[in-house]
Amino acid sequence: MAYSKEVIEHYEQPRNVGTLDKEDPTVGTGLVGAPACGDVMRLQIKVNPETNVVEDAKFKTFGCGSAIASSSLVTEWVKGKTIDEALTLKNSQIVEELNLPPVKIHCSVLAEDAIKSAIADFRKKQAERNGERKAENAAPAAQPSQGGK
Amino acid sequence: MDPFATLGLPRRYDVDPGELDRRYRELQKALHPDRYTGAGASERRMSLSKAVEVNEAYRVLRDDVKRAEALLALLGPAPGGERETVSSEFLMEAMELREALADAKHARDLSQVQRLAARAEALWAETRRQLAAVFSSLAQSAAPAEVACARALVNQLKYHQRLLDEVSLIREEAEAS
Ligand code: FES
Repeated sequence: MAYSKEVIEHYEQPRNVGTLDKEDPTVGTGLVGAPACGDVMRLQIKVNPETNVVEDAKFKTFGCGSAIASSSLVTEWVKGKTIDEALTLKNSQIVEELNLPPVKIHCSVLAEDAIKSAIADFRKKQAERNGERKAENAAPAAQPSQGGK
Repeated sequence: MDPFATLGLPRRYDVDPGELDRRYRELQKALHPDRYTGAGASERRMSLSKAVEVNEAYRVLRDDVKRAEALLALLGPAPGGERETVSSEFLMEAMELREALADAKHARDLSQVQRLAARAEALWAETRRQLAAVFSSLAQSAAPAEVACARALVNQLKYHQRLLDEVSLIREEAEAS
């Protein structure tokens, strides 16, 4: 099948291929697979927890040219956006930008799912952290009763 | 289309490859255009479209993944459509294997490719075995939970298949260079 010029461009020179530290609390990781073909994609974002702006994005995709182009495009798009803005991204925008034929739609869905799950992962990590902080703040108050034992 | 009916085979996952080939060749011979030279146009057209159907059915039934999908399709449409049915642990392992394979390819480390291939083959065979077991119990009664389980296993088989395809590509490239 012939790829569009946009796909070829991203495919030959993918932007942002790589890995971020998945243990970093400000990094969200999205790992998704395409049941239709058995390909996998990992997309990671580094978010400023104060402003919720995506400062960096990286991906690694084992899939067809369209999937690589879709993830490359998505990482470009989300950089500098807030996570709320990034969440509004639709695979139809990817399809349009890359001129994907109908059989390649599932490849762009993969990229949409990946960014959504990366954001969800970041939020989950932040919520856990905030929970821990609250627990720390609450700890001193609990001490007197412990001393009473 | 029911490929099992097209080839006159029972609807089951474990097909006997010899039997499959034999049925296919018989039908191919019976539908060969040479046998229809004296026939009318509509009859010729029918035999031709039937021959196409036979070829397609054979292609599906020979393939372990496609045959499983054909059986599932006969059980009804998937409830979640094309949604993912594998766990995140499974995906993580799939990703790790693909990454390791890409690294081995890059480093031209053929013995590592070999090890990963062995691992992929073992995973494939194990999933294939489980799938055959689920399908044989589905033949008794199509319990929804088991159908879902079969769908998930087919899904897993595709990831393993994809990895094995990649291994063959790397081997072909290595032989060519
Ligand atoms: S065909 Fe697998 S991701 Fe495009």
